[in-house]
Amino acid sequence: MFEHAQKAIELAEKLGADEAEVYISYNHSISADIRKNTIESAKENVSQGIGIRSIINGAVGFASTNNVSRIEDVVNISVSSAKVRESDPEWTSLPSNAKYPEVSGTYDKRISAIGLDDCIGLTGKMIEGALSVPDVNTTSGSFSTSYNKHLIMNTNGVEIVDEGTGVSGFVDVITTKGDISTAYDFEVSRSLDIDVFGIGASASSLAIRSQNGISIEPKKTNVILHPFAFSDIFENTFEPSIDADNMQKERSSLIGKKGETIATSDLNIIDDGLLEGGIETSISDEEGTPSQRTPIIEKGIFKSFLYDNYTAGKDNTSSTGNGMRHSYVSSPSVGPRNLIVEYPSSDVIADTDEGVFINTVIGAHTANAISGDFSVEARNAFTIKDGQIDKPIKSLMLSGNIFEMLNKITGAGSDVRKVGGTVVPSLRISEMSIVG
Amino acid sequence: MSEVGFYDVRMIDATSTSIVLDNGNIEEISVNYSKGCGARALCGGSWGFTTAEGEFDLKAAIDSASELAAQMNSISPKDEVKLKPVEKPVIKNIPTAKIDPADVPIEEKVQLLKDIEDHAKMDGVSSTSAVYSEASVNVHYISSEGIDCEYSLIRTGFAISAVATENGSYQVGRESRFGVCGFELFEENDALALARSAGETAVELLGAEQAKGGTLPVILDPELAGVFAHEAVGHASEADLVLEGSSILADRLGEQIASPLVNIIDDPTLHEYGYYPFDSEGVMSSKTTIIKDGVLNSYLHSRETAQALGGTPGNSRAQGYSEPVVRMSNTYIDNGDSNFDEMLEEIGNGMYLTGSRGGQVNTGEGIFQFNAEKGYLIENGEVTRLLRDVSLSGKTLEILNNVTLVGNDLKMHSGRCGKGGQLAPVSDGSPHISISKALVGGV
Repeated sequence: MFEHAQKAIELAEKLGADEAEVYISYNHSISADIRKNTIESAKENVSQGIGIRSIINGAVGFASTNNVSRIEDVVNISVSSAKVRESDPEWTSLPSNAKYPEVSGTYDKRISAIGLDDCIGLTGKMIEGALSVPDVNTTSGSFSTSYNKHLIMNTNGVEIVDEGTGVSGFVDVITTKGDISTAYDFEVSRSLDIDVFGIGASASSLAIRSQNGISIEPKKTNVILHPFAFSDIFENTFEPSIDADNMQKERSSLIGKKGETIATSDLNIIDDGLLEGGIETSISDEEGTPSQRTPIIEKGIFKSFLYDNYTAGKDNTSSTGNGMRHSYVSSPSVGPRNLIVEYPSSDVIADTDEGVFINTVIGAHTANAISGDFSVEARNAFTIKDGQIDKPIKSLMLSGNIFEMLNKITGAGSDVRKVGGTVVPSLRISEMSIVG
Repeated sequence: MSEVGFYDVRMIDATSTSIVLDNGNIEEISVNYSKGCGARALCGGSWGFTTAEGEFDLKAAIDSASELAAQMNSISPKDEVKLKPVEKPVIKNIPTAKIDPADVPIEEKVQLLKDIEDHAKMDGVSSTSAVYSEASVNVHYISSEGIDCEYSLIRTGFAISAVATENGSYQVGRESRFGVCGFELFEENDALALARSAGETAVELLGAEQAKGGTLPVILDPELAGVFAHEAVGHASEADLVLEGSSILADRLGEQIASPLVNIIDDPTLHEYGYYPFDSEGVMSSKTTIIKDGVLNSYLHSRETAQALGGTPGNSRAQGYSEPVVRMSNTYIDNGDSNFDEMLEEIGNGMYLTGSRGGQVNTGEGIFQFNAEKGYLIENGEVTRLLRDVSLSGKTLEILNNVTLVGNDLKMHSGRCGKGGQLAPVSDGSPHISISKALVGGV
């Protein structure tokens, strides 16, 4: 498909496009799936497709296909869709060719060479890890590897080809004796360096420790959120508010807050498209703007929204390299890269006299994405007493507001995890409201 | 070493169009053509899945799935998987589009969407967005058992959302309708009124009080009770979850698990958004009564789970070329014979929860959480003050047993359900139901 890019661009121009852009992605993945302690199935997927953006008088049309024989049709449609629309005076232009940074840790040749037998071996190790803890079953899980390559080409001279690899392992477990309790664990990486046995063992140990939970009284207390719990809430509440598109459409609580203190002074949040080995790392974003490192919160002060090329043009500023796509089927919109949450680390549980430790939450996607209010069910939660994890908690609802939380962070662990693109340690937040 | 004993292929050809409006401007017009197939093969106890896109080679796809299955089975041999025998599906009563969206000029669609968005604008509403989507899909299924069947379907729908702002507070109202139909969707649903209602909800919520959490009697409206039926009960009845040991409903067939007033049904033959004539294994769709008069009556099955547990297949579904997974279609709590006023009178003091912002469930432990769009206090048998940010959580089986009244005003809502990383069109619904005790969370 890649060989058709140039022709597609030329056709769009011939049909009347002022500017045109082609995005082609290719993905090859192999995975093995677990069901009840056995490796049940193998999957091999090759997917590729082309998305075409045509611009006429600032009006954008977009069309896509996975079928080489329909490329001419989609070029036609993208141009005719652009003609249907009124001109957008706020459109500036597609990104121009630029100097691109080098990135590292995004391609592991061991992954692109991996076969199904290796995948099955690693999946088996994950099950072994889970079953190394007695009285636990793995209910489901998966180990997968992927290789991807994409091309971005436009009429302003951008022509980028980037490739990378990825690997992920996850497992769900349930106790088989006594009180029913579940847990999960997962790791994702760009290199073949995840500890598959450890993923299984840690999920099982958590499920066992969560058995026979106690009930607790509603109160306000210290809550330590594991990276899984924090990132789940963070992605559904904070991330939408730093999106320049939401800000421009008056759907962000951070409107007009640039330069203001919005968090405790020890907190830094950085959007980093260049992070070594980051899940969202590549030389450019998905419309061809060079990747960069953008401080979002520096010492508690709100520094910047995230921009793609279009929203940057509207605000007379530069794209922060955040023009992202869900796949070739969609045109770019603002999306975070690796969002790194930094806070000085300590032995955070040992420093906590009283509180609650929460591993994961369910229902974070029901949060109010603008106000940042949320109410979630905490899973695999424990009381903390005199600096130690004490007893499991049966059922717990956690409510709060992300912007209030940012001012109440009082500690962090040294257990930084890459939860997808969110890179974060366990964080302690004071005076959180819990209902048992 | 075992031979490959079974294979099947789903070939899909689809065209979809979406239009996104934001604050009155066209944000995006996007068209997608896709063609490809998902093939699977079974060797002994091992499955192999592959996908091929574009002008694919059918034989190569089958060979590649077969190779994966055989390789998997030789490295990791296990008990043979048997599939429940099925007949070739008889396709009848397929919903047709009265007005094919492809015949409606794009300008007309844009104008209609603009009118819809306009109606969500009112004092207090600071921004609006609206989405229109249409898709036509042809699915062709073949299997090594000689089944060869095909259908075409058109899906059309729209969603509107309005945001209201006041003193740094933000509230959202949303409405949507999606169906297995054509452009007549806009004649059958008053889209403009729905848009107005989204705007009104957002504005109303600005003035709502924060809910105070606690354990209370509650009434759920049809939308939220439908979400409960789908999330908390429907998922736990999926036989793949039962088999893998992550369903609270395992080993409970024939047991009284709910109040005798509760009947929960999954019916893919209804012409609602979750409709299909045959599932992703070529099995003719049919109605399943999951809970009958409070007794767990049946799980939802694929051919593999139906053979393993006993039952009727027909609920295996896949997104695009992905592998089929056991899942729901149109799921609802069936009508009872109470009405809303009786519920208010019975409850006296409690909460009335309406609409849904989504939910999540842990089927293994039987725990769920979801958020209502709005809540109202019920005081002395009357609906009084409006509350916001109300969530409902608890144990599925406790809630099922705490149902004290079931209304007679069943209503379905369309949506999409995620499982195993795949999305599928579904609908769920219920009449109003009254629950004697539930954990309601507030901020």
